[in-house]
Amino acid sequence: MRNDLSGSFKFPLGLRTLILMNLIEHLQTIADKARKYLVLISAYNPGVHLGSALSVIEILTVLYGTGRVKFLNGGIDRNWLILSKGHAVHAIYAIAAAMGYLTWNDLRSSGMIGSPLQNHPEIGALGIDVATGSLAQGISIGVGIALGLRKRGLDRRVYVIVGDGELDEGQAWEAFATAAHYNLTNFIPIVDHNKIQLDGEISKVKSKGELRKRFEALGYSVVEVDGHDIASLLAVLEDVEHSGRMSVIIAHTVRGKGVPQLENTPRQRITREEALKLLEEWRVSEEVLA
Amino acid sequence: MSLLLRKKSEVSELTPRDALGKALVDLGEAYPDIIVVTADVGEATRARYFGDRFPDRYINVGIAEQDMIGVATGLALTGFRVYAVAFAMFLMRAWEQVRNSVVRMNVPVKIVGTHAGFSDAYDGASHQCLEDIALMRVLPNMTVIVPADAPEVYQAVIASAELKTPCYIRIGRDYVQNITHQLDYEFEIGKAVVIQDGSDVAIFTTGMTLPIAKEACDILRERGYYPALVHFHTVSPLDVHTIEKYARKTGAIVTVEEHLVRGGFGSAVAEVVVQTYSVPMIMIGAHSFGRSARSPRELYDYFGITPEDIAARAEELVRVRKRR
Repeated sequence: MRNDLSGSFKFPLGLRTLILMNLIEHLQTIADKARKYLVLISAYNPGVHLGSALSVIEILTVLYGTGRVKFLNGGIDRNWLILSKGHAVHAIYAIAAAMGYLTWNDLRSSGMIGSPLQNHPEIGALGIDVATGSLAQGISIGVGIALGLRKRGLDRRVYVIVGDGELDEGQAWEAFATAAHYNLTNFIPIVDHNKIQLDGEISKVKSKGELRKRFEALGYSVVEVDGHDIASLLAVLEDVEHSGRMSVIIAHTVRGKGVPQLENTPRQRITREEALKLLEEWRVSEEVLA
Repeated sequence: MSLLLRKKSEVSELTPRDALGKALVDLGEAYPDIIVVTADVGEATRARYFGDRFPDRYINVGIAEQDMIGVATGLALTGFRVYAVAFAMFLMRAWEQVRNSVVRMNVPVKIVGTHAGFSDAYDGASHQCLEDIALMRVLPNMTVIVPADAPEVYQAVIASAELKTPCYIRIGRDYVQNITHQLDYEFEIGKAVVIQDGSDVAIFTTGMTLPIAKEACDILRERGYYPALVHFHTVSPLDVHTIEKYARKTGAIVTVEEHLVRGGFGSAVAEVVVQTYSVPMIMIGAHSFGRSARSPRELYDYFGITPEDIAARAEELVRVRKRR
């Protein structure tokens, strides 16, 4: 990895800590800004799955913000990101804007017929490698890409963001089993475990059993992490990327993180009025974000 | 066709699935970027021939058709030419994966469904796929090829390698009457083959029913009619010019297919006919699920897909048209 801080050159310990702290602060700034952008988009675009998008902000910020994956993609020889829970796509758009790749105007027109920023990921939008939206299909595609990269002899990784509700789909487990069978260590699934799916709490809709054990039974090494803690996410990613083992990261998250009306509820959206009121409380205006 | 690897006569003794296996191996030799993915049916589909020759380019995902389509999509995104091979019937459980993963991104995954139609006579209704033409042809940008016999399976698979868009190839198992090697035409995706010109009635066929339709034409000629016979190895994109031409020329069309008439090849032809030059039509094919049988022939009889039935229905149609 180009952004691997533990490469062959050893920074003096103090300097290394300083760089890491700066990085964490930098990523936190992006995440905070993206969170505000998301709420702002939701005031204009009725197709935003706000609760789900807020749940994956830090996970995606760490991937994009460290350069593991890039918004301007080309060719095959690179890391790939698949948002298998495609309904959270506005998180990617918001992070792109927070990092300067999209403008507020781009975000505001998301979900319009003429916009490349559709309400589920479509090829052609900035930062979108794979069209998703139908749950679990992104996992299989990720397995195929990881296989293809390996067959081409390319030392690249595929990050796949999977919702916990998505794990109800049979195809998810078909795909995880295929990856394990081929020992695809360059396939890195990250489960956004916010414990809520469309019809309500996971425990009430459909229990996922002991997730850790389900993955371990297939041969995965399972790492659990606070999905909103950037420092922990960075550490876990580096660990998994260099473990040489089949791994899955289970990120414990809060759906709707940062928006009190949504946090830990099955509620997906807030009204335009609620959004504008929240932004006012946060002292955010379109001008400030621009 | 850019790449003819074998003469038709070289594959004229094969079964459809053996022709598939041979074509995949020949493609593997010609293209270093071909990968074949299957779902625990390597032996039954003959995809294994490819796997034996090129083990590094052969992926078996186990009994998981939905995953197979996704994995094939991912491999195609990394620049490989991918063939996803499984039983037609069980590929249909991955229809939505074909729609949302392959077709929506327009990646050139070639999906090959074997054991289609009545070819798997023994296994009965659960295995006899009579819906795949309908389901695949509705997808935008999806090429649907339904070869008539082993030589055409071979040519279709070879020709599909150069397609830059999704493709579905529907083939049978072992039962076959190989005849296309005796016919003089260049296989070209999307181009219908006029086997016999005529003016009283046009018999349009796709896939394995070609020899049956051909026999029906012989019967009609003996009875003093002058029937046209056109073979459509490609159902999508459909050769609309040839359809319109024969609608105008004969004023009566009979379609024959080893598939449900509802939504299938006949329906596809009707969609063209009513929008170009409307003529009466009869659609011959299956009307419900198949049954376990001792041979596909029994199932053709059961559903009235026989030379005698086709000839009788065609005569009836010609009489109706003349009364108008």
